[in-house]
Amino acid sequence: MSTVLERPASPAGSQAISTLPARVRARAAEDPDLVAMREKRFGIWQDITWGEYWDRVADVAHALVSLGIEPGDRVAIHSENRPAWLYVDLGTVAVRGITMGLYPTNPPAEVSYMLRDSGSKVLIAEDQEQVDKALEVEHECPDLEWIVYLEPRGVREYHHPKLMDWPTFLERGREHRAAHPDLLDRLASEVQDDDVITLIYTSGTTGPPKGAMLTTGNVEYAVRTLITEGGFYDPPASPDDVILSYLPLCHVAERAATTWTNAEAGVTVHFAESIETIQTNLKEVQPTLFFAVPRIWEKIHAGIHVKMHSASRLKKLVYGFWMRIANVIGDELVANGGNHTFKTRLLYRLGHPFLFRALRDRVGLRKVRAASSGAAPIAPEVLKFFFGIGVPIYEIYGMTENAAVATVNRPGRVKLGTVGEPHPNIELKIDEETGEILTRHPANFAGYWNKPDKTMETIDGEGWLHTGDVGVWVEGTHVKIVDRIKDIIITAGGKNISPSEIENSLKTSPFIKEAVVIGDQKPYLTALIGIELDTVGNWAQRREIPYTTYRDLTTKPEVLQLIQKAIRDTNERFARVENIRKFRMMPKELDHEDGEMTATQKVKRSALHDLFGHLIDDMYTNRTEHPGGDLVSVHSPEATAAEEGAA
Amino acid sequence: MSATATEPNPKVSAKLRRGRPELYTDYAADMAMLNTPGKRLWTGLLILGLLIAPFYLDRSWTSLFITVFVFAIGAIGLNLVSGYAGQVSLGHAFFIGLGAFTGTYFGGTDPNFLGLGLDMAIWLPMAGIIPAIVGWAVAPLASRVRGLYLAIVTLGLLFVGGHFFNEFRSLTGGPNLGRTAAPPVLFGVDFSAAGPLLGIEMTARQRTYFLTLVLLIVAAVIARNLTRSKVGRAFAAVRDRDIAAEVMGVPLARTKQTAFAISSFYAGICGGLISLTSGGRLDPINFAGAEGLFLSVTFLAMVLIGGPATISGSLMGAVFVVFLPRFVEAFAHYVPLIGATGLVTVPQLENILFGVFIVAFLILEPRGLFGLWLRVRNYWKAYPFSY
Repeated sequence: MSTVLERPASPAGSQAISTLPARVRARAAEDPDLVAMREKRFGIWQDITWGEYWDRVADVAHALVSLGIEPGDRVAIHSENRPAWLYVDLGTVAVRGITMGLYPTNPPAEVSYMLRDSGSKVLIAEDQEQVDKALEVEHECPDLEWIVYLEPRGVREYHHPKLMDWPTFLERGREHRAAHPDLLDRLASEVQDDDVITLIYTSGTTGPPKGAMLTTGNVEYAVRTLITEGGFYDPPASPDDVILSYLPLCHVAERAATTWTNAEAGVTVHFAESIETIQTNLKEVQPTLFFAVPRIWEKIHAGIHVKMHSASRLKKLVYGFWMRIANVIGDELVANGGNHTFKTRLLYRLGHPFLFRALRDRVGLRKVRAASSGAAPIAPEVLKFFFGIGVPIYEIYGMTENAAVATVNRPGRVKLGTVGEPHPNIELKIDEETGEILTRHPANFAGYWNKPDKTMETIDGEGWLHTGDVGVWVEGTHVKIVDRIKDIIITAGGKNISPSEIENSLKTSPFIKEAVVIGDQKPYLTALIGIELDTVGNWAQRREIPYTTYRDLTTKPEVLQLIQKAIRDTNERFARVENIRKFRMMPKELDHEDGEMTATQKVKRSALHDLFGHLIDDMYTNRTEHPGGDLVSVHSPEATAAEEGAA
Repeated sequence: MSATATEPNPKVSAKLRRGRPELYTDYAADMAMLNTPGKRLWTGLLILGLLIAPFYLDRSWTSLFITVFVFAIGAIGLNLVSGYAGQVSLGHAFFIGLGAFTGTYFGGTDPNFLGLGLDMAIWLPMAGIIPAIVGWAVAPLASRVRGLYLAIVTLGLLFVGGHFFNEFRSLTGGPNLGRTAAPPVLFGVDFSAAGPLLGIEMTARQRTYFLTLVLLIVAAVIARNLTRSKVGRAFAAVRDRDIAAEVMGVPLARTKQTAFAISSFYAGICGGLISLTSGGRLDPINFAGAEGLFLSVTFLAMVLIGGPATISGSLMGAVFVVFLPRFVEAFAHYVPLIGATGLVTVPQLENILFGVFIVAFLILEPRGLFGLWLRVRNYWKAYPFSY
């Protein structure tokens, strides 16, 4: 494969506005053979150099132009994380188009809505699954002109005038490139600071998703704050760093962690095969920087506990001993803002050869020098666990609308339970009346696509972005998020309660995957619980409790007692009024495609209230028709009926 | 990080390459025989240790190592046919004897007996090739039967061969008399005499040590590569279920024939070198009848104790079997009732222990010493988890 570079002396350097494509181009010119990313295919990690990266971006850019994309046109990508995602993203930006990412889990209805809303002209669909979704709703999207698919398997037989395969697409790009060699230079010189470069659809826990417009200026400011100045990872990322890309790239956090960090800092990106293989891929890649959402951290945490449960006696003893030491280390680190003291350093060094090194290696975190958690609240217990084994996780806070620029916990100044301090040079305040967090800085987005009314609600006249999160200052420097404004529960007694704090505490139990606290306008709090099938299933097997399905498992009295205990444990950590009095089991796993969760795995409360209204009524009308319990006893009508049937 | 000169050569910083043993960026690294830094390190250290060992060991220990190396080549051969291809053979001693006398025929210099007096560069390969041809020729008989019957057929070969060795006096010197073996003169360098080797002055024993060590390494590497090739996979398929293998398109008769031929080649090389462990003399009685059977069983023990279907297991088995008598001797007088005045004598104890170990491994750890090593390795590989 030839690595043709157009004019190594990149004109990007002379131009006033730096862009993501310009960065990639400069890196390709500087050292085209350096590896930019790797993708695991056919069992090995295939290298993609900066030269190939830019070459492909240029091909895609030209191909898009040849398909009629003009500055300001939208290009949609519907794919898992893979190099092509980056090619298309930067290729679109290189021709001043607008990238719009769809979650691979988006069902056809949402695909239709987002394609229509954004008016995308070209859709890059990964495989047959996504092509099928697009073809199903294609007649509803008048602007959609082309569907380019990456994986031909199963799609080859389709005959649709709008379909085009990836090699043909690239070939068009190469031909166009040969005919118009100066096009990208010209477009690059025309870039404006307020060019919208991407639409990021917010997950929409309430109402339909809205496309947040981020401009060149927004992204440049975010890149500077988060990556160059170490807002994301401190000390800042460098070409010696390795990252694993696995969270959806259409989310602002992963875009920052993958595309932006790669282009700006030159880290080597490894694309995980899929979200299911994340644990294996982590172990192979051993990244040095790792960004994860709380769900992933909880999963790793729970995974360690489950595996230790079935370890041999001696290993358990060793683990138990060193985990007690890790607790001490974690406590002390937390008390010192994440700074090592002589004692913690000594203890950690001692435990390193016995447990910590091996443990970190097995879960793939051995080389992690900076880790962060964001996009949702994480339980302090989980953070403390990872601090203890030597993986400091810095919680970061931001949202699509401010290009993820808000606050971060800095090394050495960590306060657990807070999301850290505002980045330097940004304005952040907490509204005195509502308690809402407001930010104002150059990364505040340009508005919602096609929704000026919603934009007005979000950005006020003075340019403050209303985040919708209620926060409080902690010791004047750190921000603690209380909850989403809309989620705060006001009980019948008039007490304000933040459900997410309680829910997160519940979710630290390895057995609980989802917890939804209910109690708005109610005399006391209750919870809907979704179990973690893996761990509870494993637990049941070890206790020789037979079960068939997820639903069957949730009706077992033993499982109910297990959950009851987790709830009692959580209750001890909270004030009496915040205690959960009753719970019911959700009979199915929540799913994006069924509309119970957003694409980012956030629970849609309103949907749950509709779906599980009968469970909630069951609790507040003092009936016991559904599996669940209170703090004293549990009941499971189905299990009882089954027993009676057997008798 | 291998790439041909014509392709763009992807580069990564050294920091990226280190400490990620499971991250394979090309198939060559993934398939490499020593595919992890750990294996490379330990193999390197082992070879280094073996290279400097003869300068620190006394004569008897050096001799013991020479025996290990020579027997290991034979054990690898038996492992190929019995461990990998699943064809139990008790006729291994016959092929070893055939190799020994073939070598002597081509290289022997004793005027009283047959011998062409050729260089070792010719007689050693011939010591492998002739048994391989004989193995190829007799395999069709053997491959018609399975399991116990195969063991009996190969046992028959041992006795027929033994008779041949005992009676072919002009070549073998006859039972209990024997003859001098072919001298180990390779390209004019006599390894049975003291002298310089690669610029270092050495005793004859040290020179023999290095000769056999190098031959063993070559033999082991070839065998290891063979077992992970198409041929090796065919062996395993035939072993695990011959009917299924045939259904998959593995030619049953030819695969068995190949296994016997290659195994016999290794046995022949082992035989060619065996005089180096016995002071340069060969006696046909050692390869015939009861003595021959005992030799076959010794090799079978190396395979079973070391670990069937593993090359490193064959090496471990050879070490174990050769060193066992030495350790028994060294520790016997600490144990009561052993010795000339006790219940059992030291050689008797050796034989008893030998049997006990074979039985114990077959029952408790069928994967042999290599299996024990696997257990240890897996314990740490998953640590602190259990799987």
